[in-house]
Amino acid sequence: MTAVTTIETSTAATPARGPRGLLWAMLRLHRWALWFWVLLVAVGAGALLWAYGPGADAAWSEYRTLHCDTNDPGLGCDALGPAYNMYDTAVGIGAGLLGLAPFLTAAWAGAALIGRELEGGTAQLAWTQSVTPARWLAAKLAVPAALLTTGMLVLTLLHRTLWSADGQLRAAMGSRSWYQGTAFEANGIVGISYALLGLAVGVLAGLLQRRALPALGLAVVGLALITTVLGTLRPYLWPLETLTNKHEYPPYIGMVVDEGALTSTGARVGDPICVDDTKCLADHDIVGFYRDYHPSSHFWPLQLVETGIVLAVAALTVVIAFRLLKRRTGAAV
Amino acid sequence: MTTALSATAAPAARTPRGPRGLVWAVLRVHRTALVFGGLALAVATACLIWMYAIADDARRGNVPCAEPAHDGFPSCASVEAITVDNTYADGIDLLTAALSYVIFPVAAWAGGALIARDLESGTARLAWTQSVTPARWLAAKLAVPAVLLTAATGTVALLGVWARQDDDPNLVGDWYYPDVFISTGPTAVAYPLAGLALGALTGLLLRRALPATGAGFAAALVLYNVLERTRENLWPTVTRTEAGGFELPRSAWQMSWDGPTRATRAMYHPQSHFWPLQYVETGILLAVAAAATLTAFAVLRRRTP
Repeated sequence: MTAVTTIETSTAATPARGPRGLLWAMLRLHRWALWFWVLLVAVGAGALLWAYGPGADAAWSEYRTLHCDTNDPGLGCDALGPAYNMYDTAVGIGAGLLGLAPFLTAAWAGAALIGRELEGGTAQLAWTQSVTPARWLAAKLAVPAALLTTGMLVLTLLHRTLWSADGQLRAAMGSRSWYQGTAFEANGIVGISYALLGLAVGVLAGLLQRRALPALGLAVVGLALITTVLGTLRPYLWPLETLTNKHEYPPYIGMVVDEGALTSTGARVGDPICVDDTKCLADHDIVGFYRDYHPSSHFWPLQLVETGIVLAVAALTVVIAFRLLKRRTGAAV
Repeated sequence: MTTALSATAAPAARTPRGPRGLVWAVLRVHRTALVFGGLALAVATACLIWMYAIADDARRGNVPCAEPAHDGFPSCASVEAITVDNTYADGIDLLTAALSYVIFPVAAWAGGALIARDLESGTARLAWTQSVTPARWLAAKLAVPAVLLTAATGTVALLGVWARQDDDPNLVGDWYYPDVFISTGPTAVAYPLAGLALGALTGLLLRRALPATGAGFAAALVLYNVLERTRENLWPTVTRTEAGGFELPRSAWQMSWDGPTRATRAMYHPQSHFWPLQYVETGILLAVAAAATLTAFAVLRRRTP
């Protein structure tokens, strides 16, 4: 209810000035969301910076105190110590916020940005104030997209800085690899593109449902489905490399997608688990073993292809949203 | 809008019959949530029965093996050929995680759709003029979902324990994993109830659907994470000190480890601490739920004449 009066007074106080007035109305109406986003980015950035500095130092000193780096490591090295756990939690908060942001965006865009306005009738009010529906929707998409990209970029750059600095610590603890979900998304441009997809999906859900709470549910469930499908497809978005070896498996490196045994004709078969039994190997005609994998040099090709797909889906969603709005309002766009 | 209409039409069509009319109205207004909750319960039940059905095969696919077969060990090739153990482990893992996260949608829904939307749109005030006092209105709003949630989460938790059978940690995870711990005891029921009460309180305090949805979700998130961090301190740990080195069994939930310079000292929770930890955590959750409910009634009484 307060939101309605805000719009009215704002357009009255600043006489129609085109996009600037619309931009100002957007920021004013959604100031809580704006502050929340600033707070979220600040928390994520703070956690990552803490992990980068004091967190990593404390984890290292604990590691040395337990003599985990010597030839005679204590049994305590089997479990992670409290300092490393703190470090891991801080990194998890930073990377987790990057992963959570698309879903929060979708929920907010479906409910507060679009659904509530259509439900309460404030959208129809705005369309009578010399703002066409198309320009209204364009502003609703452009302003959050710019703010989302900025915030996600800050978090991604910080995560990359941390990632390039803590390689030794990761190797020592045997934790987190470049291809694992959150790390993969937080180290490249995929995370940013998912946030934009969340915005597009939320906006379309809001236009479809025209009611705040159902739109919230539809947006979150829809985005969850899309991200699950794309996450499953991720290893197949770039040609795999193959290592083969006779007698035993090739080394385990990078993102391993498939492995198995090779027969004398070069056919790929399931491993009969003969281990070193030569008779068993001969019976199954096994002459070698293979592993399909992505080396870390495939990081950027995989990132670029997935980003391309995500942005294409987002663009398609936005086009559908504009079409839908045009058909509904019948206004000249 | 349709929901508001049906809510008001209900008492008109059926002459005032006390609580039965009110219970019916709550179920009718929130039929979407009821349908989705029922679907989730049906899917979880079907999956858990399926898991139970393949549990024996899964255990045959997850035993020590030798190549070639000797000393009573089956051959590794025959064990490896059984893939049903992966299906079983993944299925149990997914359902365990889903049950431990029920608190989040419940809290968001209770804040937004259950309480705040009615206050925002004025349907609550309309109900209060239809011979339903505010306190009875809130009692019905809390009691009906609480009963349904208790029945549903209790069923899924019991079916889950049944489908886990011997709790082989290689297949179903160790008892102290956060998801496993929450969904194998009374905490599975207590978490959603605490979420319901917290959500209802945020709805009454904020009185607007979307902020209440967000605040309810955030409150559940805080409660969940605080308890996950403090769980190990809810019951005194066992300390074992020995001169030489020793190994704890896998079932021990290890807290700290010193040594082996002079003596090895380990602090841990043995598996026998499962029930004390469960009771303390359930007690805390029910206390949170009761406190939130009492506060909600106090807020409502101060607001309404």
